[in-house]
Amino acid sequence: MLVVQILLVIFARSTSLSDIILSALFMAGIWRIFEKSGIKGWWALIPGAREYQLACCAGRESEGPVYSLASAGSIALQVISLLVSFNSTDVSTVAIMIVIVSLVLWLVSFIYSIRVYAGLIDVYGVRKRWMWLWALPYTSFIPALLWGFGKKYQPAWKVEDIRTEMARLATHGSASVMSDGLTVNLTERTATEFFKKKVLLRDIHMAIPQGHMVLLLGGSGAGKTTYLNAINGYEKAKAEVLLNGTDLYKHYKKMQYEVGFVPQSEMMRGKDTVLNTLMDAARLRLPKEVSSEQRKARVNEVMEIFGLLPVKNNLVEKLSGGQKKRLSISMEFISNPSLFILDEPDSGLDGVMARELFEQLRKIADTGKIVIVITHTPDRVIDLFDDVIVLAKDSARTGRLAYYGSIKEARRFFGRDKMEQIVKSVNRKEEGGDGLADEFVLKYAKEVA
Amino acid sequence: MAEVQAKSQRQMLIRHRGRGAQVRIYLGKMLRMFIYQNDWKVLPMAALIAGLVGMVIRKRMFLTMEGTLMGAFAMVCVCIWNGCFNSIQVICRERDVIKREHRSGMHISSYIVSHMLYQALLCLAQTVVTLYVTQLVGVQYPWDGLVTPLFPLDFMISMFLITYASDMMSLWVSTLAKNTTTAMTIMPFVLIFQLVFSGGMLSLPAWTETLTHFTISNPGLKVIAAQADTNNRPYDSIASMVGKMGDSEIGGTFTVGQILDILQAEDKPIVAELRAKELGKVMTLGELKNALESSATFDTLKNEQLLEGFTVEDVLSAVDKAGLLEKYGDTQIVGSFTIGEAVDFLASNPDVQSRRDQEISVHTTVGKLLDLAGADRVKAFLEEKAAAVNYNPDYDCTEENITSYWLRLATFVLVFALLSMITLEFIDKDKR
Repeated sequence: MLVVQILLVIFARSTSLSDIILSALFMAGIWRIFEKSGIKGWWALIPGAREYQLACCAGRESEGPVYSLASAGSIALQVISLLVSFNSTDVSTVAIMIVIVSLVLWLVSFIYSIRVYAGLIDVYGVRKRWMWLWALPYTSFIPALLWGFGKKYQPAWKVEDIRTEMARLATHGSASVMSDGLTVNLTERTATEFFKKKVLLRDIHMAIPQGHMVLLLGGSGAGKTTYLNAINGYEKAKAEVLLNGTDLYKHYKKMQYEVGFVPQSEMMRGKDTVLNTLMDAARLRLPKEVSSEQRKARVNEVMEIFGLLPVKNNLVEKLSGGQKKRLSISMEFISNPSLFILDEPDSGLDGVMARELFEQLRKIADTGKIVIVITHTPDRVIDLFDDVIVLAKDSARTGRLAYYGSIKEARRFFGRDKMEQIVKSVNRKEEGGDGLADEFVLKYAKEVA
Repeated sequence: MAEVQAKSQRQMLIRHRGRGAQVRIYLGKMLRMFIYQNDWKVLPMAALIAGLVGMVIRKRMFLTMEGTLMGAFAMVCVCIWNGCFNSIQVICRERDVIKREHRSGMHISSYIVSHMLYQALLCLAQTVVTLYVTQLVGVQYPWDGLVTPLFPLDFMISMFLITYASDMMSLWVSTLAKNTTTAMTIMPFVLIFQLVFSGGMLSLPAWTETLTHFTISNPGLKVIAAQADTNNRPYDSIASMVGKMGDSEIGGTFTVGQILDILQAEDKPIVAELRAKELGKVMTLGELKNALESSATFDTLKNEQLLEGFTVEDVLSAVDKAGLLEKYGDTQIVGSFTIGEAVDFLASNPDVQSRRDQEISVHTTVGKLLDLAGADRVKAFLEEKAAAVNYNPDYDCTEENITSYWLRLATFVLVFALLSMITLEFIDKDKR
């Protein structure tokens, strides 16, 4: 009898007949909604997973884990209450705790269900007033059945079958190792979120010679920063990254000083002075053997190169946007790295200042270093670059290499003059782009092959 | 090309600064932050808090048991507060900077160890300030120490360890929190947990006792209470309360029968004890009363309560007032007997039985009763009994107790520091 009760609680959240009927109707409706969205209908029967899949159907995947865990937790507590039989006079501490935690979980679950239903309403393009029926516990079966079985209710888009798309868009290849440059053979960069493996980047192969200044282009979410983190070895991918013939991943502890990574935001302590910030950066990045005098000389040299000498005793927080950028670059430049990576160094800078900064980067590249730069306003400085990397999010929502080569060739390849037009061409349609990412990914793979 | 490869090979042989050297770099940076980032403000804050708390506890700390216990709890609260607010934001406010520096070769262990050293200095300074200020506002610290020759030094070690353990606990919270807002949201829960489950001030359900082992406040309260020799301080709340009730009237009207019933109620231990007293002499009832009143045990017996508000002496006085002695004073009682037998004899007497409904009124005040029993003796008695009831072996002022609490606090420091290191090393690693 207890087993039946537990099963009823797990699947219907109640042991009363009316509630069981309502739950069954709700699940039947959700089954059909899942099928309409391209998800297997039987997920509707599994509590916890049902909520996550519903969030996916509603385009609110990020809300899914919390919604799912709160619902599953709530059910688990109901089962525990059944197992630990409390009589009406037994107000034990455990019972009180269970009630409190249940209330919290119910509230979380309710709030997240509202978010998910709001997403579902958007996907089905119906009026907001449907929310009342969804949100109330005894009426939610009505919209579930109507939307599930009604032909007039159709979702605006389906949950994509990622695996099929990934198989369709698979490309193969590898870049031959360059002994005096950067060779990247990235097979896959994945991340796990809520037990679900997500492929962030795939099949990116290139060899960048020394002395090249490379522009990294791509729409938002294409994986530019992820790619840079992968090639500098900080967030390792399934890849082989060789810098001047040495494996960066295998010898990361030694080679990390050969890579200078300037992050998008300044990431410096505002209450420290410019000189102290650079001195600490030098102590951290320069070899142990470098004497104090040599270190000071190097710091002065870098400050001179980046025009920071007049403000060397100022607090970092008092610097202008341009000065902060230059200080941030100086911190990495102090160890004289072979590979210099900059994530949007011109953000917040006006055209003139940005141009000056990129000219400085060009000079650095001319000394035989590889400089890779992400920028969202490439056309004003495109003459300073040698090559361009174009990353694009394919229809499996994975960052892919749509192009790597010279600027001139890139214009021919994409059939567009401006770099911003190239970005637009590979961006997804819902992001205001042309949605040609898949085409260019396959075209580039074909050309390289 | 050969030149490039040679450079790369050279790079492999270059050695960068190790963990020890990095600790020095970060310690220097933190000491600069003490000046520039206004970390110094925690010192006047500690002084202010110590002053406020000191003014509240100064009149009773180290003087009475309950005052000392309350003072110990207040001191623990001060230490935990100071420690928590020292470090709750230090890591989460610079997560991005840590990420960048870690990418540039910073060792997480060096970073945490430098924080440990810096926070230790900060906690030590706060402890000194707190002790000085509380002493300044009038808290009377003893002088002779138990573990070290000086009590202030013993006390300082305890306060430092409590502050430092709390500091490290907050440092861990700071490594868990994504930003300062989250950290400050978590903070009150941590503080409430520490204070509620200290296990000293609030009576908790039995099952929560395990939780007290996970709080810093528990060994903190114990070590301060033990050092302050709480168990050997008088517990004066009850005695002073009775003293304040001097003018309160007590008494009532009783019948002879009620009084006899009380004296025959052998199920009451105090009555049974009284009844068992042997008088063992052939005497008259009058002689019995005189013998009873002049006996050595009468002093303790006369104040024993037979009924709410009535002592043995009250009863004897009531017997007197009822004229029982005038009538039966010369009646001889033969052989060895007890008070109980005497009472039973009286109760079985037909004449006494016929007067069972006769009323006797007794009216007095608490003060008069205290005077009768000796106010100082009653106060001493109450203090002694209350102290015995409130005795807690955990608060015994022994070297063993104190060092074991210090060890527990030091363990908390190490555990939280280790947790901070692990959390910062592994949490969010994929997204770092």
